[in-house]
Amino acid sequence: MTESREMMASAYFDVPEALLVIRRNAAGARELFLAILPGGQVTAFNGHVDLGTGIRTALAQIVAEELDIPFERVTMVLGTTTAVPDQGPTIASETIQIAAKPLRLAAATARRHLLQMAGALHALEPAVLMIENGVIRPRGESNWELDFDELISGRNEEIEIDPAAPVKAVGEYRLVGKGQKRNDIAAKATGTWSYVHDVRVPGMLHGRVVRPPYTGFDSGDFVGRSLISVDEASIAHIPGIVSVVVDGDFIGIVATREEFAAQAARELKTRWHALPDFQDLSEPEEPLRQNRSKPRLLRDQGDVERALAGASPLMERTYVWPYQMHASIGPSCAVADWKPDELVVWSGTQNPYPMRRDLALLLGMPESSIVVERLEAAGCYGRNCADDVTADAALLSRAVGRPVRVQLTREQEHAWEPKGAAQVIDVRGGLDLEGGPAGYEFDTRYPSNLSPTLALILTGRVPNTPDVAEMGDRTAIPPYAFGNMRVTVHDMPPIARASWFRGVSAMPNSFAHESFIDELAAAAGVDPVEYRLRYLTDSRAADLVRAVTEKAEWKPRTRPETEGAEGDLLYGRGFAYAVYVHGKFPGVPAAWSAWVADVAVNKKTGEIAVTKITVGQDSGLMINPDGVKHQIHGNVIQSLSRVLKEKVSFDGLKVESVEWGGYPIMTFPEVPDIDVLMLPRPNEEPLGVGESASVPSAAAIVNAVYDATGLRFRELPLTPDRILKALREQRGELLAGSAAAIPKKRSWWKLPLALAGIAGAVAGGITLASPVRGAFAPIPRPDPGVFSAATIEKGRLVAAAAGCNVCHVGADGTAFSGGHGFETPFGRVYSTNISPDLVHGIGNWSYPAFERAMRQGVARDGRHLYPVHPYTSFAGADEADLQALYAYLMSQAPSVAVPPENTLKAPFNIRGLLAGWNVLYLDPQPFKVDETKTASWNRGAYLVETLGHCSACHTDRNMLGAEKQGSAHLAGGYADGWVAPAINGAGASPVGWTRAALFDYLRTGHSADHGSAGGPMAGVVKSLSALPDEDIAAMSEYLASRGDAVSGEEAAKQREAKLVAADAAKGRALEISPAGARIFEGACVSCHESASPLAGLALNTNVSSGRPDNVINAILGGMHAPAVLTAQASAADLEIMSMPGFAESLSDRQIADLAAYVRARFAPDEAPWEGMKEAVSKARAAVAGH
Amino acid sequence: MKPQSIHLTVNGKSHELDLSPDTPLLYVLRNDLCLNGPKFGCGLGECGACAVLVNGKTVRSCSISVAAAEGRQIVTLEGLGTVEAPHPVQKAFVEQQAAQCGYCLNGMIMAVAGLINRNPDPTEANIREALKAHLCRCGTHMEILAAARRAVELMREARLDETRLVEIPVEKSRREEAL
Repeated sequence: MTESREMMASAYFDVPEALLVIRRNAAGARELFLAILPGGQVTAFNGHVDLGTGIRTALAQIVAEELDIPFERVTMVLGTTTAVPDQGPTIASETIQIAAKPLRLAAATARRHLLQMAGALHALEPAVLMIENGVIRPRGESNWELDFDELISGRNEEIEIDPAAPVKAVGEYRLVGKGQKRNDIAAKATGTWSYVHDVRVPGMLHGRVVRPPYTGFDSGDFVGRSLISVDEASIAHIPGIVSVVVDGDFIGIVATREEFAAQAARELKTRWHALPDFQDLSEPEEPLRQNRSKPRLLRDQGDVERALAGASPLMERTYVWPYQMHASIGPSCAVADWKPDELVVWSGTQNPYPMRRDLALLLGMPESSIVVERLEAAGCYGRNCADDVTADAALLSRAVGRPVRVQLTREQEHAWEPKGAAQVIDVRGGLDLEGGPAGYEFDTRYPSNLSPTLALILTGRVPNTPDVAEMGDRTAIPPYAFGNMRVTVHDMPPIARASWFRGVSAMPNSFAHESFIDELAAAAGVDPVEYRLRYLTDSRAADLVRAVTEKAEWKPRTRPETEGAEGDLLYGRGFAYAVYVHGKFPGVPAAWSAWVADVAVNKKTGEIAVTKITVGQDSGLMINPDGVKHQIHGNVIQSLSRVLKEKVSFDGLKVESVEWGGYPIMTFPEVPDIDVLMLPRPNEEPLGVGESASVPSAAAIVNAVYDATGLRFRELPLTPDRILKALREQRGELLAGSAAAIPKKRSWWKLPLALAGIAGAVAGGITLASPVRGAFAPIPRPDPGVFSAATIEKGRLVAAAAGCNVCHVGADGTAFSGGHGFETPFGRVYSTNISPDLVHGIGNWSYPAFERAMRQGVARDGRHLYPVHPYTSFAGADEADLQALYAYLMSQAPSVAVPPENTLKAPFNIRGLLAGWNVLYLDPQPFKVDETKTASWNRGAYLVETLGHCSACHTDRNMLGAEKQGSAHLAGGYADGWVAPAINGAGASPVGWTRAALFDYLRTGHSADHGSAGGPMAGVVKSLSALPDEDIAAMSEYLASRGDAVSGEEAAKQREAKLVAADAAKGRALEISPAGARIFEGACVSCHESASPLAGLALNTNVSSGRPDNVINAILGGMHAPAVLTAQASAADLEIMSMPGFAESLSDRQIADLAAYVRARFAPDEAPWEGMKEAVSKARAAVAGH
Repeated sequence: MKPQSIHLTVNGKSHELDLSPDTPLLYVLRNDLCLNGPKFGCGLGECGACAVLVNGKTVRSCSISVAAAEGRQIVTLEGLGTVEAPHPVQKAFVEQQAAQCGYCLNGMIMAVAGLINRNPDPTEANIREALKAHLCRCGTHMEILAAARRAVELMREARLDETRLVEIPVEKSRREEAL
């Protein structure tokens, strides 16, 4: 159990020995900042928390420095409300700049006090004493020393922070300003650090939430008021469900195990009011312009209108920033333990005290009854769902009266985190007669607020009308001395749920400032760095700009395309500078940052490779320079990712990007070289470094792309399709020209209508002709003892060859209990219970009744069975095999399962019609041995054609649902939503089937040249695993003989050619489906670009198939590695893998895009599939119905 | 699916569990065996936070079932080494301070360990490729790459040490013989 309760501040006041440093808050209550404890241990308290930036280490350095003790002796307590002072939310790079100040003073106060005490003991002035490594002694030679223990022993003393206490001079620092290894990484690298995700409390249950369909929106009339009903019966089949909690639009499920809660959350059926139509925020410019707003003038100096009237050229530019997300790598998690008089939550919140107020409001409890235990969570760069999930856990714990852990899903974290808001910035400016900036009019729109805790809105505790927060003004004032300038922020409420994200509005605002000044410089014919320096009045900024450009060996330039080109690559360099101004306007500057970016733009594909970033920063005094460097690296990589790749896509009132395919971020191969320059400013105030280096990113990159190509981009992200389109326009190429090269399109849905394995008669004449079949009398269940063991064993193999359990297995895995639904054009048919239960199964069937059912499709009581049951194949079965099968089935455990009723449309629901059908299509001939062939071939033929009933799926069916004859036999069919490819040699698999490949596939469910068995075939292979190798070899021999099986050498040649073609098709596929390429890169490459033969796609028959069904099914429902394969001893070296289903993670549009990419890349010679979105939606409906 | 008896070998220890065989391995490692190294990141095999070694290969434990892992050697972050006695890959990550929030760290270490198992002398491109589908949002890539390079060196040294350990007794016995 990992139960983590921080020692309360009040307990420190009661320990027998301590020196405590406190501060009284406005209400006069004691807030603890520092505790010097026996053994020289020091515990220090801070209201801010570590979001992964290493602030825990930097704060400990500050304390150790002021007290002159070893770093290792300091333990930091961060965020927990019973222990630390309320210092507000951890935001805006304020921890070192603001929140650390009282802590430093507390340490300084303690230091002075200790020296005074030591001085009093030895009758010396404190000024002649010093502390070194936690030991107090006189300066110079001395014969005594004492440690802190001797001073604190025997009493608990409290002193108050003295703002006038002398702090150490920078020159005396020995820890601050030096690189310090972090105090958490060793534990994190060995799995012994407790994140909030790792908290376990005795008696803890597991919760999941079900969020409303308006994913990622928290304002509007419908919010909190859309739920119609919750069908608890829909999860009645899942074990361990403790409670379903509903409050307004809030739904949560509590279960005994995490996987039960997860399954229940997926399967719970809920009904919601229809959502209103909504604008598409994927293209945010118009929605932001239309959003109600209030102008707030930030700066108006000179005469902008007059200056612009005389500007030449006059430049009016619009910059568009997309919605982006924090995208924490771990979805938020929390544990809550509610009791009537106290709530304890374990939370990764960055706002412990503000969140406590929200919890008090949500639960109607006093704040003083709520304890927030703060633990680290996955990195958060603004706001994620940490507070939301804490509130969720509190609601669920209160409902069940036990501790509950709630883990959000990846999809929920992506969808519901408060987004980094989109932003639209209009700039008007131009050059005066001397080439200087004539005037500068800047208007910025930023729809965001503080994002109320979600549960408060979903339950209706707070109104669903959004507040407006004034946060669009960060770095809105340009850093340049523009004489005539007007800067306005248009404050507006959020549209999608949005809140601050690293760099807040400063990052987009600087994108505009720094792009625009680059354009001014270009128009003026002046080097962009030189141009900036002319108007940069801040000397520290100018120093930084000079230092960075010098380090990067910047060469002045007055036109683009001076860095040259090589092959398809165009090289360019760009510069940008910014100071991040945070907090309420006019705000406080954090560290200064400047970038030189080197890029290579591929003119054929539009891909931008960022090859090197030279980044400089003036951070003032750096507490931990290693930590500062780490933050700079992090900011560079994250902001590059945002600029190059990131944009949230929406589908009406839904966030569509809910996993890493829909929202790809930077990966290792894309990471550039980063050269960091940190200006030494030890005598200046320490500045926040958590965000600054992100701010110049976008402009540096677009300026570099301009330098490479002469093209200016004013909208992000800089995805290859955006770049390529502009390059082509620049080259005067017609965009539509490429379409001609796409192979001729074939419409897969126009292929002959394939009917699933069900037949019904539509002609009335057949009805009239139907004979009435009699019933066999019921018998008592045969005693299994009458069958010999050898017969039962033979029957087991027959059942395996016939794959009885592929269809008749119960949903819970119980053999032969039935209930599997088959979607057919005529309605839905369920497999029956064929266990020997007297009432629900076939326990009262005599052998003759059984044999008739097998060969003629008539049940014991005379009812006709639907030919989903492949009696047309079984008709030819060997008598002894059927007898053995009967014996085997009768020896099985009875099951009382009752399959659901068939839901067939009239007239197919009239079973009697099948009699006429049988007259037409049932050939009751026994299997005929071909004397000209080997015994093995004949054995294979028997297994394939009778017991194995391969044709039931692999043969197309006619309008009446009967298998077609002649050349159509085994030439491919369609069953249960899956394409069953041709197995007669006529199939268009990328590599021809060899006998060996057939054997591998049937034996292991996988062939390196063809892929893995999925859908119903996976079950068939599993079933066949009971058969000896000779039988599988016989089937392979027979199947190979039916078509043009290729030789091993031919197959190898085909394989090589396909792999080369797939590799070559990469660029083309990117062009055909750029959105699909992004999803593939984010969601699929972890397996599908690995060397693993299990996941290769270029040789996969399904990707080359005329119909996309199997590919869509695999994406929606996932694929399991063939169990037979992984179970083999020889497979120990094989990487085990399974493909998860993406039904809840990718939209129809996304799956269509992805499948289009997969087709273009891995089956480049085949025509694109068409009508994909509809096909996906159809397949999704079929999956949901199962 | 109905619970059944599952036998797992994790970090060298045997565990008998009664579970539905399709339970994701990650939930079993975390909730039943209380191993906190592997982290839940996406449940889709995309991010790598849940990686473990199965028979020495890096596998995403969120997307394989506990049944698929049966009969194989599973090693989690905890099974590699401890703070006091870290595995060379862990040691390299600590040395290079290759974490910000550290949530992805498990996957990075497991990916590097798996890489070195199959390729003891990877190139820079091999390293980046092996880490391609392991996501880090804090932007710790520079430090992680440095750690991976360092891990390759430390593993090489460790292999040399092992060779030496083998050689010493041989020399000793020869010495004994000679005497």
